Parts: sequence; structure tokens; C-alpha cells
Amino acid sequence: MLDSKIPEGPLEKKWDNYKFNVKLVNPANKRKFNVIVVGTGLAGASASASMAELGYNVKTFCIQDSPRRAHSIAAQGGINAAKNYQNDGDSVKRLFYDTIKGGDFRAREANVYRLAQVSNNIIDQCVAQGIPFAREYGGLLANRSFGGAQVSRTFYARGQTGQQLLLGAYGAMSRQIQAGKVKLYTRREMRDLVVVDGKARGIVVRNLVTGEIEKYAADAVVMATGGYGNAFFLSTNAMACNVSAAHKAYKKGAFFSNPCYTQIHPTCIPVHGDYQSKLTLMSESLRNDGRVWVPKEAGDKRKPEDIPEGERDYFLERKYPSFGNLVPRDVASRNAKEQCDAGKGVGETGFAVYLDFRDAIARDGRDSIEKKYGNLFQMYERITAADPYTTPMMIYPASHYTMGGLWVDYSLQSTLKGLFVIGEANFSDHGANRLGASALMQGLADGYFILPYTIGGYLAGAKPGEVDESHPEFSKSAKEVEELYAKLLSIDGDRTCDDIHKELGKILWDYCGMARNEAGLLKAKEMIADLRKEFWTNLKVAGTMDQFNQNLENAARVADFLEFGELMVTDALFRKESCGGHFNEESQTEENEAKRDDENFCCVSAWGYRGEGEEPELHREELAFENVELSQRSYK
Amino acid sequence: MNSFLNTIWSSIGKKWVMAITGLSFCGFLVFHLLGNLTVYGGPELFNWYVEHLHSLGVLIKIAEWVLLFLFLVHVITGLLLAYENYRARPVRYAVSKTAGGRTLGSRSMAITGILILAFVVFHLLTFRSAGQKEVGDLMILTNWFHRPEMVAAYIMAMAVAALHVSHGFWSAFQTLGAGHSGRKSKFKTAGIILSLVVAFGFGCIPVFISMVS
Amino acid sequence: MSANASKLINLTLKVWRQKGPDVKGGLETYEAKDISTDMSFLEMFDVVNEGLILEGKDPISFDHDCREGICGACGAVVNGRAHGPEEGTTLCQLHMRHFDDGDVVVVEPWRSKAFKIVKDLVVDRSALDKIIQAGGYISVNTGGAPDANAIPIAQEVSDLAMDAASCIGCGACVASCPNASAMLFVGAKVSQLKLLPQGDIESAKRAVTMVETMDSLGFGNCTNEGECEVECPKGISITNIARLNRSYFKARSLFKKGVN
Repeated sequence: MLDSKIPEGPLEKKWDNYKFNVKLVNPANKRKFNVIVVGTGLAGASASASMAELGYNVKTFCIQDSPRRAHSIAAQGGINAAKNYQNDGDSVKRLFYDTIKGGDFRAREANVYRLAQVSNNIIDQCVAQGIPFAREYGGLLANRSFGGAQVSRTFYARGQTGQQLLLGAYGAMSRQIQAGKVKLYTRREMRDLVVVDGKARGIVVRNLVTGEIEKYAADAVVMATGGYGNAFFLSTNAMACNVSAAHKAYKKGAFFSNPCYTQIHPTCIPVHGDYQSKLTLMSESLRNDGRVWVPKEAGDKRKPEDIPEGERDYFLERKYPSFGNLVPRDVASRNAKEQCDAGKGVGETGFAVYLDFRDAIARDGRDSIEKKYGNLFQMYERITAADPYTTPMMIYPASHYTMGGLWVDYSLQSTLKGLFVIGEANFSDHGANRLGASALMQGLADGYFILPYTIGGYLAGAKPGEVDESHPEFSKSAKEVEELYAKLLSIDGDRTCDDIHKELGKILWDYCGMARNEAGLLKAKEMIADLRKEFWTNLKVAGTMDQFNQNLENAARVADFLEFGELMVTDALFRKESCGGHFNEESQTEENEAKRDDENFCCVSAWGYRGEGEEPELHREELAFENVELSQRSYK
Repeated sequence: MNSFLNTIWSSIGKKWVMAITGLSFCGFLVFHLLGNLTVYGGPELFNWYVEHLHSLGVLIKIAEWVLLFLFLVHVITGLLLAYENYRARPVRYAVSKTAGGRTLGSRSMAITGILILAFVVFHLLTFRSAGQKEVGDLMILTNWFHRPEMVAAYIMAMAVAALHVSHGFWSAFQTLGAGHSGRKSKFKTAGIILSLVVAFGFGCIPVFISMVS
Repeated sequence: MSANASKLINLTLKVWRQKGPDVKGGLETYEAKDISTDMSFLEMFDVVNEGLILEGKDPISFDHDCREGICGACGAVVNGRAHGPEEGTTLCQLHMRHFDDGDVVVVEPWRSKAFKIVKDLVVDRSALDKIIQAGGYISVNTGGAPDANAIPIAQEVSDLAMDAASCIGCGACVASCPNASAMLFVGAKVSQLKLLPQGDIESAKRAVTMVETMDSLGFGNCTNEGECEVECPKGISITNIARLNRSYFKARSLFKKGVN
């Protein structure tokens, strides 16, 4: 039933074969086709620009006041590519293998290989766009190693790589706006997908300034709407990141894959109060020199400096002698949680562990540490007012990236014809865990080099302008959206949507976060259902519909998170193995490490919506590994 | 030609006009000051200087007209810019503080500019018209600076001019796109030195004359 | 940490409230009680807003998104300073420990003819996007780019370009400029692209079209006051404005000769 449409031929030839066999749209006809792109992050902006260059008429929507603010902008570390500029043995195949293995063998081989293939084109394109990547004295591009890879393949622009890449894509799109090929709609939130006869035909959005519900038709819809990390309320995502667009598409028939795969990043600045709105990520490079520890005695409230060496537990070094503090993200995160749950957490809330640079400073000198991490230490001090040179940093894991997303086939088309999904919003390339510096690569690969080809294959077989906004489905959707907002405003209860969102976040964090078990997940499912009831009976929203109303926007997003959160739990319950970001306590090795079950779960889950109050329908895409051997990870 | 007008009319174009005319006045100030320094050489030297200046005849007339033209352009463009800048923020801030970028000189350009305009008119009416009556030249100065209020007024005027130059000189180079012109620009230092030279050079003359006479 | 342990403070806020672009607005007073000094300025607003919502009042609207100082969405003039009293920071990264118990804090939106108020502290900064659309990019299509290492670029040059490229488009330069000029924003983009060999090719045309667009949108003129440079959360230097001035001058003389 689920056909991933992987092209024939050996792995290395699949993408070439696909490009050769795909039907092309006559240049004269391209200008007759309208394509909607929702989202202007790396994937959305690059796709808008590239499709407009090809001649399509593009309508691009973003939720912020400017397309340049999409959350891709916050990515710090870098972007991977298999250039092998460092002559250290990198290749397309190695990047492919690292990505598949990093994803704990839960991604589709053909997609990942294609990603590695086009990675090099991305760097060329970005340099041509004027992105000031870091360079060596000789004028050539610099690289650094990142996130477990054994080669230096990460290109970076200071700690602002995401910003620079996004501004490049934004520039390319701006050029097409000027040329009249892209029409930009800012401060619009997609509230529904319009499907006519099984095909995606347009969207319904709320104009966030006037509150009007607007309808837009097109020949194809591209969603580049990002991830759902904000389901946890606290995450490193921007405040506007939400699941609504993807969730609406799911409810209209697109399958949602692997929603339980969420990446929890180990080195974030800990929560410091109930009012906290957002968590800030610190680059994981800090673990190269910092030592992670907690007091041996639970409840030890002494200052870290006053705790003698013998009374400290360097738990990562103790448990993983060969990798020590450099274990992968999921392992580091899970162990920090374990310590805190055992009452050994530090700081005012008890949900933090120390990341100590004392020994590194003694060994290498303060200057050397300052050179490497000066800007990070400064950022830490700005937020916490504590000086990491003299007292250990405190860190705690936070929700960071979501590998799950709408199911797409090789051409990035969802189970709904004419609906394409790119970037973090789809599920395709990272399996159960994403490697550092791979998100930027995937977003740009999809937008610049993959979608512009594959969408042509769909449009070549379509007639332009078959459906317009006057179709009754548009009015029906618009009416439903209006009714939803009216309903939210009419409850007039005692709790704000942030308050309820925080509660949802805590449920998900506790039971569907770094470690899961069946009893907890079943409990979470009930709790979410109850909370949803509470939301719809006791919510208080300010203002009216026909105005700029951020509180109302939020409430509608939380309503979707409350439905979607349950899907995350359902998926986690289905996957009885442990893999990547999904650690099932009931599936672990004797050394308490994640244990995959390749016999029963070497698959992608794809959930189909069956209606209000119904359990979703599970579809499986079995994963075949013909080019790599499945192995169990070990970091002892 | 259209392109030229377009350029001049653009925001940066108008600033060039200010910069080029402004720098011309800086040049003029330096020459004027050099001439005036002959005061310190006694009446003979000073009268010699004035005679030579007069003997330039038509050249001096041309210079005067050019200066007048540049002056009008500088004033009119400056007023236009000030008006446009005022219009660019129709609602003002209830609380407005400087972050440390502005200086006394930079924030008072319009006011010091108008004060200088007033001074120049006064200066021309007094000295220039007086000069044409061909009375002993230094005599005119001594007559004027005999009155302490005149000395004070002149010193004030020179302080105002110095303030104007302290920002204007550097600003002109920045507008013309000269080199590294951030917070630690060498043009900024040069502008301040020039303004001090102008203030002391011109400012000391009335004091000197009033003391000598 | 202990020396800087968080404490609770009370503040009096005077916040600009305005229902829409063409409606009269004014400062309204709110008491912000029990504000932890560990909160960011925007979290303090969150707390005030939660209270307002429960009271059935309209919460304060303000733009914000990443809350880590990079997206450029947030910004307000706090006690007369764009993004508040700390240098090199955005409003979301301004922490309440920089305020004292009992302080009166006046919060106003960015004010410029080119930035219409949408609501309260939210302004329409699409003028900045329009300037970029006029030429703030290198005109290359996707595909066909030469190898990334084909043109070496000196590290110092690339670093200068990166300094200019770090602009987050927040609009603090316009807000803090006594003349509401956008020259730092334009200068940063023109500089970044002009410094790089890939962008230098069309630098003349770019400088002219971007400046023309800027002029048409109602921004004021630069008078080299240097406030923008100090208030810029990314510390972008006005050297970039000088570079823009120079590019523009060159561009205009080139234009006359029919180049570009």
C-alpha cells in the first residue's frame, strides 16, 4: 500500500535514473502552473526561489513578519558536505553511511544516498550566493569535525551558519519576488489544507494582522513547515514553531510518520523557573573539554567548588570509559535525566548536571579554553549570570529537533497527491536520530536540488488551474477554521493556553521524552485526553477574531498539539524496540543501552487519520538495507 | 543630466553636497585663519595682507561669489535634510536617550549651522562693509574689539563654528566613503584637532586685539 | 551563581498601547509584580500578559520568535534605548537583573515613518524586505555554480564580509537613529556582497537600486551620528556605511558611462 517509489538501479545511479525518467514540463507551460509553498526556512525559501527560476508561479507564505526570521536562522554549528577538501577520506558513500548509522538504521537508503550526493552542490551554490563561510589563510574553505563523524566535513560561518544559509536562500527568493515570480504573503498561518478528489489543491490561512480567513488555490502545495518540538512547550525551537499545518494535512489524509522520534539535545541551559518560555542550546562541542558530573550523595546542596573530588560522580566517564563525555546525544541526555531522577540533580530546580571546565583550564590554560569557547561562555553568562571559568556550567537536555514528520515517497510527495513535504516537516532522511550539521544539509537539498525536479514529474501530468478558490471545498474549510476560532473564544474559562501547553509539555517530557515505557505511555495517553477536555472547557482567550491576536493564534496551535501529542504517544507505544531518539526502557541491553529489534521494527510507521476519537490506522513501510549492514551501537 | 540630478537628489547625493561644500568651508577657514594670523605680526603686516587681498581685484570677487554660492547650497541642502529627517519620524519617542554614538557636535549640527549663518551675515555686514570704506584696516578691528561684549560674541561664534567642524569634518569624510571610519576613525581625531585650531586660532584674535589696544 | 542568585523585583511598566495602525495610541501603566531577575524582558512580558488575559483584558502584543537573539523579530525602545540599556543584545536576551526593584520602565515601539505600527509594540518592517528585494543578493540561479573552492577569498576579506552579514534585520538601527535612517541596514548588505568577488560583479547596480528603494520608503538621511552602531545587537560598524557611500558614488559614475 505504501509505495516509496524508489527508482530502479544500483544505489549510486538511482537519482540519475530518476532524473532521466521523470516527465518534464514544457518551459512554456511552467508559467501556467501555480505552486503554493508554506514556510520560508531553508527548505521553503530555497524551494520557492528554485521553482520560480524554473518558471513556475510561486505563492509563498510565512508566519513571521519577514521570511528571514524562520527558525533555520538559529542553527549554529554548520552544514555537512562530502567535499573531501581536507583529504581525510570523506566521500559521498561515507556521508551516506554515517547518516544511516547515526539514524540507527531507520531511514531509507535511497533518500539518504541522494542527500549525500547533492550535499556538494549545496556548498557550491551557497558560495556563489555570497555566503561568507569560514576560510583558511590561503583563502580556501575551512572545515571542522562535528557530532561523531571521523572526518572534517562541516562547513560553517562562525556560530551563525543557519543564519547565513537562510539569508542566502532568502536573497534568492527576494530576487524572484522582485522578478514577480514569487508572491510573498507574510504574517499568514496555514490553518487547513484543501483537498479535492484526493489531490491537494490549496490552503486556507489566517491573516494574522486582520484576522481574516483567506483562501488560496494552486496546482500543487509544498509544505516546509518545520518540526513539532514545541509539543514539549519548552524546547530550543522558536515560539512560533508549531505542528498545526502538518497536523491539518494529516487530518486531511496525509500519513504521519515516526512521530515518536524526537531529538533531545544534552547541552542546553537548564530550566530556571515556571515562567521560562524557551531553552537555549549550547554547542555540543563543549563536551570536548568539559567534564559532566553530579554529587555522589543525593540532595547535596553544597556549592560545586566545595564538593571534594572524591564526592563527585563523573557518571559518563564511569559508565562509558572509552567514549566518556563524548557519547552520542541520546546517551548523554538519558544519563543526565537518570541522575536527576535519582535526586542527584543540581541547581535550584534539581534538574541540571554540572559541565565542569576546571580540569581543562588547569591543563590547557584559561586562554586556550577562551579561544575555543569564549563566545559560548559569554552567552552562558549573559543568560545565567554565572561565570563558567570559575564555577561549573549547569546543563540539562532539551527538545531540539524532530525526525518524524509527514510521510513522503522518493519524490517527496506525501500520500496525498500534489502535497509535497520538505525539510524538517517530512520524515525522510534522519531515521531515528539526526547527526549534527545534517539538518541544514537536508533542508537545502530538498529545496534547491530535489523538489524542483520531482514536482515537475507531478505537474507534467496535471492540467493547470483545474480548481480555483470558488470550489466549495475552500468555503467548507474556511468555515471550519472560523468556527474553530469562534469556539476557542467562546469557552471563557479560567486557564490560559500557555498554562495548558505547559502541562501538556510536562506530560510528554515525563512519559514520552528521553525514556519511555508502556505503563507511562498508557498513562500519558489518558492524561492528554483529560487535558484536552480541560482545554475545551476551561480555556480563556483574550480579544476577538478580527484583530491581531497572538493569544488566539497560540490557542489554536495548542489545540493541535493536544491532538498531536497523543499521536506521539501512540507511535511510541507501537515501537516496542529502542532506537535513536526513542528509548524504550523495556528494550535495553544488559548494560542499559538501547536495543533495536530489527526483526520486528525495521520499518517506518505511517499513521493515517480515521476521524475524531478513533485510533489512527497504522501503515508500515518496511526498510530494506541492501548496501549497509545493520549493527548495534556500543560506546563502552 | 537626468542621472546627475537623480544622484544629487538621492539621500546620499544630498549628503555629498553637504560634504563637498562643507569641506570647502574647512579649506576657507584654514586660509582665512592663516591670513588673520598676520594680526599677531603687528599693524604693518596685517595691513600689508589686507592690501594684497584687495589687490586681487576680480579674483577676490569671484571667490566671494563662489563662497556665497556654496554657502547657500550648504544651508539650503542642510535645511532640506533636517526637514526630511524630522519627517522620517512622525511620532517621537516619549523617552529618548543616546546610546553613546552622538556627540555634542553631531546632535547640534542644525542649531550651530543656523547660528553660524547668523554670525556670517553679521560678520559680513560689519567687517566687509567697513573694509570698503578704506579706513585703516586694523583700526576697524581695534574699534570693534574695544567693546568686551563684541569679544565675547566673537569667541562664542568661534566656539559654535568649532563645534560644527568637530562633527562636520569627520562626517564629510564618512559621507565620501573614506576608509575605515568607525568609532575609532583617524578622521574623527583630525576633525577635533581642526575644530580646536579654529576655535583657538580665531578665538584668540579678538582677545589679543582688545589687550593690545 | 550564589553571588548572583535570582531575586524578585517589582516594576512599573509604561507600555505603548495602540489598537491598530491608524488609531491613536498612548502609554498605559502596568504593575509587574514578583519578577524574577533571571527572566528575560520578554518573559517578564509573558507574566504580565498571563495576568491580563485572566483579567479579561487585551494582552500586550509584541513580536518575538527565537528568543535567542538571532531571528531579529523582537525589539522595542526601553527607557529610550533600542533593545534596552545593554549593548550588543536583543530584547529577548536582556535579563531583568539589569533592572532594580521599583524601576519605572517605559516601553515604546520602533518609531519610523517607514515602520507602521501594527499593534502595540508590533511594527511592520516589510520596508526592510523591500530593500533587499531591490538587489540585496547575488543574481545566480540554482545549479551551475562553480566549485566552492574555485575562487579563493582572503580570510580577512571573508571575515569583514561575515561581520557585515551578521545583520539580523531587527530594525534597531532605524529605531535608534535620530533621523530614522536605514543606512546601516543597507550598508551592511551592500558591503557584504561587494567585499566578495562573487558579489562585486553587480555591486554598482545593487548600490543604486537599493539606495533608490530605501529613499522611496520614507527613511531619513544618515547624518553620521553613530547611534546605530552602538545599538546594533550584532555590533555592525558604520564603516559599512562609508563603504556604501563609496560604492554608490562609483556606481553613479559607472552608470553614466553606460556600464551595467
